[in-house]
Amino acid sequence: MITVSPWRSLLALAGRECLRVSRLWTQTMLAPVVSSVLFIVVFGLSLGSRISGIGDVPYDVFIVPGLAAMAMAQAAYSNNSSSIFQARSDRYIHDVLAAPMRPWQMNVGLSVGGVYRALVIGVAVIAIAIPLTGAPIERPLALLAATLLLVVLFGALGTVIGIYAESFDHHTFINNIVILPLTFVGGVFYSIDVLPSPWEEISHANPIFYMVNAVRYGFLGTSDVSVALSFAVTAAFAVAICAWSQYLFSTGRRLKP
Amino acid sequence: MEAEANALSIRGLSKTYDDGTVALERLDLEVPVGTFFGLLGPNGAGKTTLISAVCNLIRTSGGQISVFGHDISTLEARRLIGVSEQDPNLDRFLTVREALVYHGGYFGLTRQRAKERAEAMIDIFDLQAKAEVRAPKLSGGQRRRLLLARALLHEPRLVILDEPTAGVDIELRRELWSYIARLHSQGTTILLTTHYLEEAEQFCEDVALLAHGEIVARATPDDLKHRYGADSLEGVYLEAVGR
Repeated sequence: MITVSPWRSLLALAGRECLRVSRLWTQTMLAPVVSSVLFIVVFGLSLGSRISGIGDVPYDVFIVPGLAAMAMAQAAYSNNSSSIFQARSDRYIHDVLAAPMRPWQMNVGLSVGGVYRALVIGVAVIAIAIPLTGAPIERPLALLAATLLLVVLFGALGTVIGIYAESFDHHTFINNIVILPLTFVGGVFYSIDVLPSPWEEISHANPIFYMVNAVRYGFLGTSDVSVALSFAVTAAFAVAICAWSQYLFSTGRRLKP
Repeated sequence: MEAEANALSIRGLSKTYDDGTVALERLDLEVPVGTFFGLLGPNGAGKTTLISAVCNLIRTSGGQISVFGHDISTLEARRLIGVSEQDPNLDRFLTVREALVYHGGYFGLTRQRAKERAEAMIDIFDLQAKAEVRAPKLSGGQRRRLLLARALLHEPRLVILDEPTAGVDIELRRELWSYIARLHSQGTTILLTTHYLEEAEQFCEDVALLAHGEIVARATPDDLKHRYGADSLEGVYLEAVGR
């Protein structure tokens, strides 16, 4: 009887995904960190001195959680969508599909790269932003939980889009037309309390608003909305999108003709 | 689990693609353990679809497949198969050595064992000078060598070779056949598709001709020649497939 270790296969696939991220580090990690730090320097330190704080929080400190969340969300999404699309396009995903792996192992293994990339970027942005702005981390466990939910959610979304995409345009379209605008209007740069009606109410329909607030609670210990609601919305989206990606691997839809 | 009389057993395999193309219809096929089996047919006959079904690369529309008695849905069945596809499908981010080591990992080998096997395959397929080179920088012949090395790395008992010598120069072709013949002599079952009928005639003990998703003839090359009154497998092919 042949025994196949599920963990070796999973570790190998996850290792391959992380190697790809590390090998392309200037593109996958350095560039997002530099752009996030530029946002902090330009909007926070330069223009921020002319903007009164949000509540009791200085403006340069206020934008750090949202910028870190935005950088991590985009990294997790972009990584997985491009990696899986490339593997489908060049058909080297066949080496994974033909291997003795369960669908969940393929799903998790192929998604790990995005999580790894997002966490490295998040740690780097925070490590630079804290000395620059003096941003605190009031609730480290809440920050950890919110970050993990966020990167798993956007990593799974990248996996789904990477499986559906017919061209590179499709995965950049979702990033540029859906994720980026929703992040910008999700309270990264302002508190929705300052918005006039009906924009304040409309902002509550944006799921990224809750994700940014969950991360902001971890940093500042305060949030525009109920912390429980922020975590519940983030977790619900994470579970739903993970279930969607698992469905695609379990059925082979879009992955296999 | 079935007795291990057959390396590959296919019952009633059907595949209709989403666009309505019927590639295979209730196909039955058994490949005994240790056979050098040739699957021949024109483009579009269903050869690659059949191979893809065996390797979990397509969703089948019906039928059952087992490999050495293990249902194809099991991890054990997949562990026993090695496939070299017709078109190179190599990971552009990995070097030759990494591609082999990671493939070993996917197939459940320990890191140490995967490294040992990778070095052995690099030696066998004369890839030492290119071990640290990534796939896009390899020549066509080197890519073909790497595909075969990858297919054989985890020591599969059923090796599927889809046009293994397409676009390969005569020197490399001779080397590849020499290695594949040696592998077969050690008990590995080989399933080969090729358009080089003289190669099939020389190496295959058992040949099936596939046309329009159905097997239209199957026997040893000599029996086929006798049955169709042909003096070569090419004559048999032209007669049976009717092109």
